[in-house]
Amino acid sequence: MDSISKEFSKVEKKQQEVADSTIDNIDKIINEIQEAQKRLETDPVSAGAILKELELKFKELTTKTLESHKELQKVIIRYEKIVDKKWKNDITIASNPEVFANKEKVLNTTVALHFIREGRFELANTFIREAQLDIPNTIQTQFHEMYQILGDIKLEKLEPAIEWARTKSKELEKRGSTLEFELHRQRYVQLLIDNRREEALVYAKKKFPLFHSRHIFDIKRLMCALAFSNRLSTSPYKDLLSPDLWIELQNKFMRDFCNLLGMSSESPLYISVTVGATALPTILKMATIMKEKKNEWSQQDELPVEVPLPDYMRYHSIFACPVSKEQSTEKNPPMMLPCGHVICHESLNKLSRGNSFQPF
Amino acid sequence: MNKLNYDGLLVLEQPFIKVPLEQLKKTAKVSQKELDKEFTKSNLTVSDLTNKINQGKIGVSDASTALEGMVGRLQSLKRKLNDTKVEEAMYVSRSKQRLSHLNELTHIPSANSEAYTQWSRVRLDRILVDYMLREGFSETALHLAKAESIEAYVDVELFSQARRVEQALQRFSCTEALRWCNDNKSNLRKMQSTFEFNLRLQEFIELIRAGKKSESIAYAKKNLNSFQENHMKEIQQAMTLLAFQPNTKCPPYKKLYDKSRWDALIAQFRADNFALNSLTSQPLLTVTLQAGLSALKTPMCSQPDNRNINCPVCSPDTLGLLAQNLPLSHHVNSTIVCRLSGEIIDEDNPPMSLPNGYVYSLKALEEMSSKNNGQIKCPRTEKVYDFKDLKKVFIS
Repeated sequence: MDSISKEFSKVEKKQQEVADSTIDNIDKIINEIQEAQKRLETDPVSAGAILKELELKFKELTTKTLESHKELQKVIIRYEKIVDKKWKNDITIASNPEVFANKEKVLNTTVALHFIREGRFELANTFIREAQLDIPNTIQTQFHEMYQILGDIKLEKLEPAIEWARTKSKELEKRGSTLEFELHRQRYVQLLIDNRREEALVYAKKKFPLFHSRHIFDIKRLMCALAFSNRLSTSPYKDLLSPDLWIELQNKFMRDFCNLLGMSSESPLYISVTVGATALPTILKMATIMKEKKNEWSQQDELPVEVPLPDYMRYHSIFACPVSKEQSTEKNPPMMLPCGHVICHESLNKLSRGNSFQPF
Repeated sequence: MNKLNYDGLLVLEQPFIKVPLEQLKKTAKVSQKELDKEFTKSNLTVSDLTNKINQGKIGVSDASTALEGMVGRLQSLKRKLNDTKVEEAMYVSRSKQRLSHLNELTHIPSANSEAYTQWSRVRLDRILVDYMLREGFSETALHLAKAESIEAYVDVELFSQARRVEQALQRFSCTEALRWCNDNKSNLRKMQSTFEFNLRLQEFIELIRAGKKSESIAYAKKNLNSFQENHMKEIQQAMTLLAFQPNTKCPPYKKLYDKSRWDALIAQFRADNFALNSLTSQPLLTVTLQAGLSALKTPMCSQPDNRNINCPVCSPDTLGLLAQNLPLSHHVNSTIVCRLSGEIIDEDNPPMSLPNGYVYSLKALEEMSSKNNGQIKCPRTEKVYDFKDLKKVFIS
């Protein structure tokens, strides 16, 4: 990238220079002509000499202008060369239009849902109208509610979130979410910070017992913090003041809200495109090799090479048998030996064909 | 895996840098041509004047008027150059902003950082604007570009120009398209594009369709003649069309009369225009999505019991449907994802098997048992077991 930037800065400089000098030179030429005109008027006898002089001047200035302009083109071409060196391949061989054929509507719906779930409602509506999509209003309403509550949390106003969590209490607990408790915790800490100790105590008494089975340890800490409420920031409980807790709360709220709607916490379109950008070099290489053999990568059942993924983008367990190196399938499931080692069913059959076999 | 592979990530950015470069090149070329033309002409005028005045063929006042005319022409040249200067400066500034955007990426240390997420979000928005522009959703494209202040990162004008040509073709008019061919003559020739010939051929066919036989012959003489070197056969066939009525059943001529030829012209225009401007023939959205979905796709995504709501490919109505015809990802090593915590299971957090055969991560099971007096409830079968009944599993 550095060499490209360097080459580009030359283009930038030259463009400015040449553009200015060209205009200047044209002005000069115009001046010369007008000058000649004046002289012709006052001294018509030496018209021949005046014009000859003009002709020479003219030639000199125009050649200079043209040459400097050519310089600009040269610099641009040098920049182009270095850019072309960096980007040699045609990336579209990595994509096959057939795969998405007749799925425009699905793709557009995916994009519209992406806008909605990111809270860009106006944009989503523009798109829904322009692409003539049919997306139920309820989804927008739900995400509208989410962003409203989220906005309140960002302003450290917790009541709407607490109210929402209360109505969804059962479902949240079923999913093992700790959101409701954490919202109450944050409200309680807020009261402590405001030095409204009495109220904090009343609040704790009213809310915390509901959560004692799962959060007794946290509750103990929170109650002890009461004793330090006038100097929380220097107490052993100063972690309760961390602004990170607010960010975490926002993320947890979004995640749980989406999960209850049966949706992922991160936009699936964002994930897919981000993975795609990372995977592209591998796929491109593969597509190039396969194309030489007249194969289309997108027509295969399985990619021939592994595309590395970051941990948080692995959503499913994959079992690759250590014996056959194949991925397990429903017909060839992983089997656990009594010793705890796991190999796939086919490998197990093969190994056991000769009467006995030893585990690793 | 958290380290960013900058070179790899930049692969996608080819059109991002090349489009403004191509435009800059074109503008510079145009102004060079203008300069060349005007200067040569003026040079000739001046030497002509000198000669004539020396030979006494014209008077001083004639010379003065001629010079006056030159001043006028030079002034209009100056105006034109002032315009191209603004245009050039725009492409330069656009290139600069784009390069610095890519440079930003190379300073992001890891894939886990907030900075990378932000950068990737902008990338997605850029890709989406590109998609919208190609699909003709220009209102959404503008809205998105404006709302995210990424106007310098997208090529709205380029597409709106193309849109005009396409719309004219939809109205069965070649005028705009022919003008476009004229503007890009040398590059189209370099690409060996047949677009201009096809446009001319279409205009010829339309004249015959309208029953204007003599006009069509005149048109062919004037406009098809120059293509005889490469397209003799097609021209001959087209001339034979004069003998057939528009409702003919004879296959080759029926095909020539077919209105769907206009759609083919639009498609050809798009392909040529994209190639000319270094835009990819497919939208970047489909390029990245196909790569991404395939890398994420596992056999489990289509099994209702094994769905993970966070997995894009598992959404059956949207991305799952798009991934339907894509290959599965390939894995040489096992990865076990804990269904309880969603974490990856490894040596530090080993897999444990319940007596019913389901496997979860040790950490998640420990956490559960600490809250439930040493009891574990399998989330899938709802059966309850003691923590001590767990068995360590070895997966290599």
